[in-house]
Amino acid sequence: MRKGHTVSDFKRKSFILFLIISMTFIGIFGSLFIGRYPLTWSDIIKVLSTAINPLQKKTYPDIYNTIIWKIRLPRAILGAMVGGSLAISGAAFQGLFRNPLVSSGILGVSSGASFGAVLAIILYGQNYMVYFFAFGFALLAVIMSFFIGQIYHSTPTVTLVLGGVIVSSIFSALVSFAKFVADPFEKLPSITFWLMGSLATAQYKDIIFSIIPISVGVIGLVALRWQINILSMGDKEAQALGIDNLLTKIIMVIFASLATAGAISVCGNVGWVGLVMPHIGRMLLGNDNRILIPASFFLGSFFMIVVDNLSRSLIGSEIPLGILTALIGGPFFVYLLKKTKGKGW
Amino acid sequence: MNLLEVKGVSFAYAQNSVLENITFHMGAGEVFCLIGPNGSGKTTLLDCIMGILPLKQGNIFLNGNNIIGLKAKQIAQIVSYVPQIHKKTFPYTVEEIVLMGRASHIGMFNSPNNNDILIAQEAIESVGITHLLKRPYTELSGGEGQLVMIARALAQKPKIMILDEPTTYLDFQNSLIILDIIRKLIKKKNLSVMLATHYLNHAFYFENNGLSTLTAILNQKNFVVLGRPSEILTRQNIDKFFNIESRIIEYNSDEKKKQKYIIPIRLLKKEGKDVV
Repeated sequence: MRKGHTVSDFKRKSFILFLIISMTFIGIFGSLFIGRYPLTWSDIIKVLSTAINPLQKKTYPDIYNTIIWKIRLPRAILGAMVGGSLAISGAAFQGLFRNPLVSSGILGVSSGASFGAVLAIILYGQNYMVYFFAFGFALLAVIMSFFIGQIYHSTPTVTLVLGGVIVSSIFSALVSFAKFVADPFEKLPSITFWLMGSLATAQYKDIIFSIIPISVGVIGLVALRWQINILSMGDKEAQALGIDNLLTKIIMVIFASLATAGAISVCGNVGWVGLVMPHIGRMLLGNDNRILIPASFFLGSFFMIVVDNLSRSLIGSEIPLGILTALIGGPFFVYLLKKTKGKGW
Repeated sequence: MNLLEVKGVSFAYAQNSVLENITFHMGAGEVFCLIGPNGSGKTTLLDCIMGILPLKQGNIFLNGNNIIGLKAKQIAQIVSYVPQIHKKTFPYTVEEIVLMGRASHIGMFNSPNNNDILIAQEAIESVGITHLLKRPYTELSGGEGQLVMIARALAQKPKIMILDEPTTYLDFQNSLIILDIIRKLIKKKNLSVMLATHYLNHAFYFENNGLSTLTAILNQKNFVVLGRPSEILTRQNIDKFFNIESRIIEYNSDEKKKQKYIIPIRLLKKEGKDVV
C-alpha cells in the first residue's frame, strides 16, 4: 500500500509538472493572437496555416507575417526564456541560502545589470551596448559579492548575502547618481523605462544574445538540482554528507548568475518573478529541488508570458513589466497563500 | 588496522587552543563515548574527525588513510554524522531528507537512482519510522526528528557514525528509543559509534549491553581519563573531574548480569572555590 502511495504521489507531481509545461507552450501560442494591431483570428489562422503548409497560396498582406513572426513570436519566446531564468535562479538561490525570502537578485545581479544598462544608455544611447554593459556589470556585481563574502571565513553563506547587500546598495546608489546627472529629456526616459523592465523591443537578436548564458545557466542548474537539496542542509551537514561546499556553491552561483544576467540584460529590471514563482512551485509540488527547479522555470515562463500579454493589451500604451509582475503577482500570491495556508515552506 | 586512529591531535580557533595532543583509536563494532562538560571541545573534536576543521597538529587516520588526503566525499563514505541541532528550513519529506544521505555516493551532476531510493527506504525502516515516509520532517516531534537524522546517517552506509549529543532535547522514553536503535545498529551492522554526551550513564548503557565500549572524559583540552566505563567512571573520578558526589549502583536484571548506573547526589565544595 505504501509503494502505491509513493507511485500515486509521483504521478500526481508529474502530472502537475506536465500541466505547467503545457501551459507555457499554450501561452506562447496564445500570445500570437494578442496585440494592438487589429488582426482577426481568421487572419492569424491563415498566417499559421501558410507557414505549416508552404504550398498554400498566400492571401494576406506581408505586414501580417511581420507581426506574427517578427514581433509577437520572438516576444513570447523571449518572455518565456526570461521569466523561466529569473524563477529558476530564484529557486536555486533560495535553496543555497536556506532562505525562502531570497530572490534571483540576492547577489547584486539586478542592481549590477541596472547600472550597466544605465551607463550604456548615457554613453552610447539605447543600442546593443546596453546588453553588453548590463550583462557585464551583472556578473561583475556577483564576483564582487563573492569576494566580499570570502573576507570572513566563518559562515560563508551569511557573508555572501552580506556581500550581495553591500554590492546592491553601491550599484543602486550609482544608478541614482547616473539618473541624477543624465539628460532629463533624452536619456532619463529610456533609463526609467529600462529600469522598470520591458519586452517591447524584443527581436530575434535579443534571443540570440541571451540564449547562450540562459541555456548554460538553466541546464547547469537543472543538472545540479539535487545538490541544492543538500546545500540547503547548511555547510556543516552538507560537508558531512560528502559535498565539496565551496566548489558546489561557486558552480551554482555561476549558473544562476548567468541565467539571471542573461535575462535581465534583455528585459530590464523585472522583480518579483524570482521570489514568488519558486514559492508557487513549492506549494504545488513540494520542496524537493529535483522537481522544483524545472517546475520553477516553466512557472516563471508562463507567468512572464501572461504578464507581457497584459502589459501590451491592458491600456493604450505598454505598461512596464516590473509594475505588472508586482501588481498581478502580489494578489495572486496572497490567494495561493490563503488556499494552501503556506504549506510548502 | 584501526578504523579510526587519532594521533596527537591539537586544534585551536585562531590563538585560542581548544584541543591538545588527543590520542585514541577505535575498531569496528566499538562504541566510543566522549564525555565532558559544556564547552569542553567535544563538538570540536568531532568536527576534526569529520575533516570539517583543519588540525593544528597531529593526524587522523580513517581506515589507515590520513584524512588530509581525503575529499569530503571519501570521508563521508566512511563517517556519517548526526548533528546535535538540525536547523530546519524547507519542509522536505522524511524520504527526501534520508535520501540526502546518499550524496557521497552520487556524482555532482546526478540525482539519486532507484537503488538509492531503496537504500533510503531501508534506512527509514531500520529506525522504525516507515509510517512517516511522506511527512514533512518539519512537523515531527524531537524524537522522530532525531530518528530521521539517524536514518539519513545510515543511508550513507558508513563504517562509523558520529552522534553529537543525540538525546539532549529528548524525554526519558525517546532517549531510550534512540539509544536502543544505536545499540541494535552496532550489533546488526557492526557499525562503530562515537557519541558525544553529557550523560555518564550512556557509557554504562552500552557496556551493560555487552558492547565493546570505551569512554573518555574531555576536560581542559585533553582526555583526563580514557578507558572502559566501569574502570574510569568511579566515584573518585566523578568527584575529581565533575565536583559531584555520586554513587555507582549495581543491580542484576533478568537477562543480563551486572548492570551499572550512576547517580549524582550533590555538588561538592572544593577548597577556595565556590561552586555557585
